[in-house]
Amino acid sequence: MMRLVFAAAALFAAVVPLSAYTVSSFQPPFKRLVIIKVDGLNGSLLYRTMQGHNPQTGKSPLPWFSHIFDRGGIVFDNFYVRGVSLSAPSWSLLDTGQHTVIRGNVEYDRYTGQVYDYLNVFPFYLGYARSRAVDMPGVEVLDRAGIPLLIDRFNYEQTLQSFQLFQRGVVWTTLKNALLGAFSGKALISVIESAAPISLSSSLANQIENILVRGLRSPQFIYLDLFTGNADHEGHATSKPEALLHVMEELDALLGRIATAIRQSPLADETLLAVVSDHGMNNEPGVISQTYNLPDLFNSPQGGAHHVVTDREQLSDYKLKGINPLVHRVVTPSTSSFYLNGEASRYPTAWFDIDGNERCAVHLRNSDINKIHILLLELARTDLKPSLRSAAAVSLQDTIEKHRMRWAAESTELSQELDALAQAIAERKERITNLSKPDKDSRDRGEDKADRRMRLELQHWQREHSAYETYLEHLNRLLAFHPDTKKRFAESINDLIPEMSLGDNNTVGDLEHYIAGPAAGGLVVREDGRLDEEESFRHIDYFALLSQQRARNNPQPQLSPKPIDFIAMALPAQQYEAGIPEPQHAYWLYADADHQLVILQDTDGRLCLRPVRRLSQDAAGYIHWEQQPWRGGLPLALFEDDRLNVSDSDRSTWLSGWHTERDWLLATHKCRYSNAVIGIPEELSPVAANVPGKPGLNPTRLRYERRRRELVQADFHVFASDHWNFNARFPNAGGNHGSFLRISTHSVWMMAGAGLPVVRIEEPYDSLNFASTILSLVGRTPPMPDRVVTIPAAELSSQ
Amino acid sequence: MLAVRRVFELFGLPRASNIVIDVAMRATGLFFAFCLVLQASKMPGGAIAPYSSHAPYFWSSTAVGDSAQLLTLLCHGCSTLPENQGFAAQTGGTGSNVPLLSVLLDNLGDSTIENDRITAVWLLSYIRPSIPQRLLAAVPFFYWRIGNGSVTKSSDLSPLLDMNSLQRPMLKTVARDVLQWAMLDPSFMPVRASSRAYRSNVTDRERLYLEETISYLQAAPGADESGGLTPAQLHTLIARLELRKRLLGGFVTPGAAARFGESAETRHEQVRSRNWELLRQCADKTGLYFEPLRLAGRSGEYAMLWAPVGGITAAAGTRVSSIWKLLNMKKPSLDELRRLPSAAIYERGFGENGQTIPVVPLGVYSLDYPKVPLLLIDFRNRRHVRWRAVAQRSIDDITAGVIGISHFTNWYFYVAADVYDFVAARRGAPMNQSERLDCYAQFRVNLALDQDLDQKLRAAMRDRIDSLAMNPLESSPEEEKNAGVKNFASLLSAAEDGRLLARVQKDRRQELASYDSSAIRNVRDEFYHLATFGVYTRRAKPTTEDIGQVSSIRRAQYHLSFLGDLAKQGTPPEVMADSGQIKSSIAELEQLLPQIHSEPLLRAAKGTIVKLRGNSENAELQSDCTLALAHFRQADGIGRQVALKPAVVRASAVLPKSE
Repeated sequence: MMRLVFAAAALFAAVVPLSAYTVSSFQPPFKRLVIIKVDGLNGSLLYRTMQGHNPQTGKSPLPWFSHIFDRGGIVFDNFYVRGVSLSAPSWSLLDTGQHTVIRGNVEYDRYTGQVYDYLNVFPFYLGYARSRAVDMPGVEVLDRAGIPLLIDRFNYEQTLQSFQLFQRGVVWTTLKNALLGAFSGKALISVIESAAPISLSSSLANQIENILVRGLRSPQFIYLDLFTGNADHEGHATSKPEALLHVMEELDALLGRIATAIRQSPLADETLLAVVSDHGMNNEPGVISQTYNLPDLFNSPQGGAHHVVTDREQLSDYKLKGINPLVHRVVTPSTSSFYLNGEASRYPTAWFDIDGNERCAVHLRNSDINKIHILLLELARTDLKPSLRSAAAVSLQDTIEKHRMRWAAESTELSQELDALAQAIAERKERITNLSKPDKDSRDRGEDKADRRMRLELQHWQREHSAYETYLEHLNRLLAFHPDTKKRFAESINDLIPEMSLGDNNTVGDLEHYIAGPAAGGLVVREDGRLDEEESFRHIDYFALLSQQRARNNPQPQLSPKPIDFIAMALPAQQYEAGIPEPQHAYWLYADADHQLVILQDTDGRLCLRPVRRLSQDAAGYIHWEQQPWRGGLPLALFEDDRLNVSDSDRSTWLSGWHTERDWLLATHKCRYSNAVIGIPEELSPVAANVPGKPGLNPTRLRYERRRRELVQADFHVFASDHWNFNARFPNAGGNHGSFLRISTHSVWMMAGAGLPVVRIEEPYDSLNFASTILSLVGRTPPMPDRVVTIPAAELSSQ
Repeated sequence: MLAVRRVFELFGLPRASNIVIDVAMRATGLFFAFCLVLQASKMPGGAIAPYSSHAPYFWSSTAVGDSAQLLTLLCHGCSTLPENQGFAAQTGGTGSNVPLLSVLLDNLGDSTIENDRITAVWLLSYIRPSIPQRLLAAVPFFYWRIGNGSVTKSSDLSPLLDMNSLQRPMLKTVARDVLQWAMLDPSFMPVRASSRAYRSNVTDRERLYLEETISYLQAAPGADESGGLTPAQLHTLIARLELRKRLLGGFVTPGAAARFGESAETRHEQVRSRNWELLRQCADKTGLYFEPLRLAGRSGEYAMLWAPVGGITAAAGTRVSSIWKLLNMKKPSLDELRRLPSAAIYERGFGENGQTIPVVPLGVYSLDYPKVPLLLIDFRNRRHVRWRAVAQRSIDDITAGVIGISHFTNWYFYVAADVYDFVAARRGAPMNQSERLDCYAQFRVNLALDQDLDQKLRAAMRDRIDSLAMNPLESSPEEEKNAGVKNFASLLSAAEDGRLLARVQKDRRQELASYDSSAIRNVRDEFYHLATFGVYTRRAKPTTEDIGQVSSIRRAQYHLSFLGDLAKQGTPPEVMADSGQIKSSIAELEQLLPQIHSEPLLRAAKGTIVKLRGNSENAELQSDCTLALAHFRQADGIGRQVALKPAVVRASAVLPKSE
């Protein structure tokens, strides 16, 4: 009987054309999952092109996309990045299906200066070759947070993963074969015949594809993926439609080859094929994306004369140092520093995540640490007048006292956490000594990698322990420090102020009144003998400063002369609205003093907006603002947006009301800023809540892991106006991403597989829906069951 | 006489006999040119496409017999020279039309595009160098153009690019290199230095003309109802010209050439937009003003930097010395700006809210140079840009020409030189002489054609760009414009009196003889052609059925290429293209191949159709493939018996519409 069934199935498969992808008796759950991950593929552009017509072939310009998904599968017409439209955070969401704990392409630990460089693959390969790495940095972070990847839901030997940002391990044979392939006789003849240069990257792409196709032939592999970054690279380089079409055509051909291989594979009818992209791209033909150089602004006296840290060299293509592939931290000194001349390598005070380009995450050294540093420098002077010395010492002591309670608590907690870590280190050392050498079978099961992972984690723990210990020592010394009102400060400042450290995050009040240096005239004493804080220091209101920036050269009329669209910052959790239970989280969007927006979030996750002006923070830390009526020109421009899916008569009421996240998405996703109302809380919400920790982790260690994620949160995020970017590394004249503009957030999600319906889903969804839905379709437990998209009942393809 | 000339052309040698030939040819040519210009002004001329005021470039079409077309790209409003008035009459426009290049399109007299071929391209501004120019070109360290260079005396009908012999330039280059290395380099220093200097100048001049042609084609509009080249034809043509710059470029297959052309355009666009933005950023950092330039109706290729007369305020807090280095100029001091005469000061709307402020021009940059904007004009220092080029060229002439450092025996010197170039280029120095020459070539013609710029500024630019003319073989752009008119008239005359048609017919016979030859066979034929100084060219015998045969072959190649592209994907073809189109192509091949009797084409067709059948999941298409293969087998048997040569192939059953 079974033979008959198989024979019938084989006959059926032979006579039914490939286009009838969905005509099958098979129903989910699928046995095999194949994901094509495309970095930076714009949803709008792809879907529009799919529906076009190529007169030369009589088909769509992207015949395979159209054939498999448009006419044979599911197309999510309105799929968006959740959070900022950057690769590392977005892939982490897609690959885990859980709220993000990675919120930038590069992150910095404010206490230790540790750099989490998620995009640079070279250190990873080198580290892997030297047995000093086993996973990409993003995977290490997720592992520590206890958040599994999609691939982790399958056994090691059932998976085949390509090269990507969230990669586990390296298959050296892929690289070796790619290298050999690039210099093979066939390749060299092809070089002569096509005039194309020898390309290691295209050879690597071919190799990766071949491995995937070979893997499809074996029923052993039930999770396979393929990552390609070509669309992102080309999109950044040019907005020329022909170039973007060419990339999509190549992608289409790749999809065709993979679909054909699936069709010919033993699990053809049990395979779910998905294509997904992590973000869109702000490409507009004829428009060149212009850079506004934020590091220059922060280097300048106007911007605080900071020594600035970025993860790459500025204008790296024009420096010899720019070819260093292992770089992860570059300090650009300010030539106008007010008090840290020559100290750039030890005390850089502004750290930026610029990658992605339409958004910059800004970390500034804590304003009061600056103040303490300035006062210590003054107290170290021999020529300081006694009255000034006394006033400076008192002010210094007051500043320490202001933070004493918080710092003391932090010191205690961090000590406990480091003790727990030390204990874990001891246990891990013992465990490692008992590890046996992996044999072939255990290597096939990936146990050698698991062992190496444990060893490397131990090294990371030891390094962190040492770094946090150093920070803690400085903190304790500062708490114990009592400045002498009469004698010169003769100790080393380095003992009190840690190098390459920023201290605690700045508050709104700090940033509105940031201490950037001593006043030009030096310290000033009031009549009562105390320091005149206003006159003694240079203060900067960063919100006003950034919103006032104008471009000197702006030859394109399509671009606003104002390169900065708005600044976003998380506000402290407090009672903002009466009658709503605490804690209420709030997020502030600042366009200028009169155009501000606050997003409020309650404990149930409901959201509401408040149009405000002149938001400020008082000395006690409470936030105040002036409420204003809804009007045009506010951040996100929702009130004036024609595409806001709310009746015109009650726009103000609706926008001010409390609504669920789903309601906001339905109402706003077609607007200029698509899902920003949801994305901003995703990016700025307290990250600790998103760190579940590894199963069985003790509470102190869990607190430690949560602290480590909290320490990489930026002070504020700067968002660029349309077609402006912050890429100081090299000109990105094509498109950019990182913002909440719909063109940057609109991504791709399509699925096909036997038994799936042929349907275009108009309902909007975001990154959180992807993994849960995919996993449920392959019969695995979804990480967030409430995010599983209900697939409509199957409608058989007409072809 | 022609053969003798070819010997000297091949080796690029200035010899007395060559000079004599030149003089004789010029005298004859001058006479004919004069007659033709007179005649051209009376001719009805070709169909002139209406031009748009926004796009000054347009195509003019002239019939060549009833089976080919001479397409000419003209620039409207690009000249006000009085001598263009006569030309204007026959092009139906005003006296400001300038003919730029002509393309000979062999369309076989029908309206289908699939069997059209471009066979030759003429750069109309081409001027053959004079004897004194050639002599000066052989003088080492002579880096000047004398006056306007060569004056147009005769017209030259030899094309810049002959699409029927793409490997010929490669063989010429190899022959010249071998001669240089084997015979001239080991000679006395004066011989070595002179020959190398002459060779450099000839190569540079050839590259200059190639780049001019590419520049025009990039600006050319696509085909419309009144004629012109299709985007695919333009891409292929640009690719072929670009590939002429590469030693093995002639080996690139037609399909790959079209793709190369497309990607070359994308690369140019990427380079331009990146340089545009880099220059704008540099202006921001240094406190200058950035202005994109529109020259001769083309934008995005050049930009200017201006300095405010009131003094430059750079961004504080950052080091900008490296930025000035990148800009390849020194920061002007306030004193320097204040000392400028009022004639050097312009008013521009760079102020806040667009108000005008007094500014001085600092430099004009080409945005086409890879990775960094290339300074073409330094308004403050006329010799600055020239000095760098002269220094680099002098070093080459000293090392290779005077000292005789060889790439083979002194390779370490060249490795060190390459390392130096790499380091200097990483720091933003434009070290690539060829690319610099390309940028200069484009700018000089665009500036010459431009009528949009402020007159005072344009005059200042022309004055300065002339100082960059380093090649004694070069002619001034104004002289080249004049040559364009005369050369165009000659071509029109040749089209009228049947000389172009004769050329087309020869090309077809050459195509018939070589369409199924291997690359090696083609190279061998080219070698024989060169070895006999052009006397031998492999062609099929002339018959009355040439057009039909050529049409069959081209259509078969077209369908084979279409099906081949589908087959090589290894995926079901019916997904990528409409089944009807695939079947129609198979049917066409089925019909055409038995008439052609070409073993390689038949083999390729069989292989392609076997692959298609294997890839397809459409039963009907598979059946069509099977039938076609059976048909080929049958025809193959008959074909073997008949064993026809291409020259006597029966005319295609599907004849051109004109017949």
